[in-house]
Amino acid sequence: MLWQLFVTAVKALVLILALLFTFAYITWIMRRGLARFQVRLGPNRVGPAGLLQPIADAVKAIFKEDLTVARADRVLYWLAPLIAFTFALAAFAVIPVGPDGWVVANLDMGVLYVFAVSELAVYGIFLAGWASGSKYPLMGGLRSIAALVGYELALGMAILPVVLMAGSLNLQDIVAWQQTHGYFILWQFPAFLVYFVASLAEMSRTPFDFAEAEQELVAGFHTEYASMKFVSFYIAELLHWITGSALIATLFLGGWAAPFGLPQIPVLWLFLKWAIFIFLVLWIWASWFRTRYDQMIRFAWGVLLPAATVWFLITAYYVAKGGAL
Amino acid sequence: MIVFNLLAGALLLLTGFLSVYLRNAVHAALALAANFVVMGTVYMVLQARFLGWVQIIVYAGAIMVLFVFVIMLLHAAQAEVGFDPLPWMRPAALAVAAVGFLALAWALGAARAPLAAKASAALLKGGTALALGPELWNTWRYPVLLVAALLLVATVAAVALIRPGKEGA
Repeated sequence: MLWQLFVTAVKALVLILALLFTFAYITWIMRRGLARFQVRLGPNRVGPAGLLQPIADAVKAIFKEDLTVARADRVLYWLAPLIAFTFALAAFAVIPVGPDGWVVANLDMGVLYVFAVSELAVYGIFLAGWASGSKYPLMGGLRSIAALVGYELALGMAILPVVLMAGSLNLQDIVAWQQTHGYFILWQFPAFLVYFVASLAEMSRTPFDFAEAEQELVAGFHTEYASMKFVSFYIAELLHWITGSALIATLFLGGWAAPFGLPQIPVLWLFLKWAIFIFLVLWIWASWFRTRYDQMIRFAWGVLLPAATVWFLITAYYVAKGGAL
Repeated sequence: MIVFNLLAGALLLLTGFLSVYLRNAVHAALALAANFVVMGTVYMVLQARFLGWVQIIVYAGAIMVLFVFVIMLLHAAQAEVGFDPLPWMRPAALAVAAVGFLALAWALGAARAPLAAKASAALLKGGTALALGPELWNTWRYPVLLVAALLLVATVAAVALIRPGKEGA
């Protein structure tokens, strides 16, 4: 019991360090990548090819003045970045990066865990918006809640067919099912489309990054934040991108399992599949417009949810008739 | 185990108390959300794991979020103090609360657990979705369908109410 606790704690620590390291270099990839898309150079002065830029950024953030707005709600203003940061870190815990044991918590209902944690993470965003005592953050917060209710439903509906076919809510089982029967992106392409679009909203990336639309809301919910509190939000946001991409790769692209009968190497295959989605999101980010948020909500309720529901019914019929299982 | 029980109990009492005591509606709603999360963990420890996750996702995740949304949208965080539009409400509420407490006390005194904790744990089979699903869709399918129909009617009614009608709106 104690030994198990110790092992889990060590795994969690390794995961947190890996996530924070990935975060640091995802900022570099993001800035260099966006620059390439826009025919610029991006940060290239600190270290070779700008590789030391994340460290410079971190040092700068730590030494910045930490302002607190006079009209802010003190307690929640402090609590909001903490909530956002904690839940963003926690979400990755159930995603397996290799066979048995290569996961922090192999929960029998891992999919539900991811849902619960990603919903609670939104508290950080709208509490920040409200606690700042300023109108732009408040609007950003309100938008994020209105969007959450829309896309979480579509997201859940898009996961259901996958769960139904795999017959399990455990991510390790879902990966195992895909190893024997083929990837879910082939079986469940409509579900994949809905899930991918909805998870762009979950990660609040273009075209659904209206909670911090800089042209309309300055910086949305984190307008009034500076220094390390701002960095907490920044980390949380990019962690959603990192975790969301890993989750799509796990649900629809076979997770850590090697494709085409290649040797099974833990971490490597998930990393490569994850990189595909990281790049895809970056690509969309660099080349798409931002939707108006009421249009996105209409889209979530009027297109994504019905489409996912119809596909779910088709899958349910197929599974009930004895297919796939 | 004992540590968890004590901690969960203390947290439940504290957050429950705070959700009533705090004057700021957003703070109170947040305390209630925390209460739901702790309640979810209690369910999980009691071998009702699916119920625990659903408690967190539905109550803490969806319902409380909507509460907070309405509070934020209406700028209703600060309750109006000093002006009492319903002066007779206070004694009436006190009376209802007293009756409620008496009923609770009676229920606690009269309650007998239908099964010992060990026996019920075996029946719950860990309370996973796999154990719960067949139970829900075989033994309890008519109640489930009734609830589903009720929710559907409520949803349709809500949509019909906010639809821009012919007169006005």
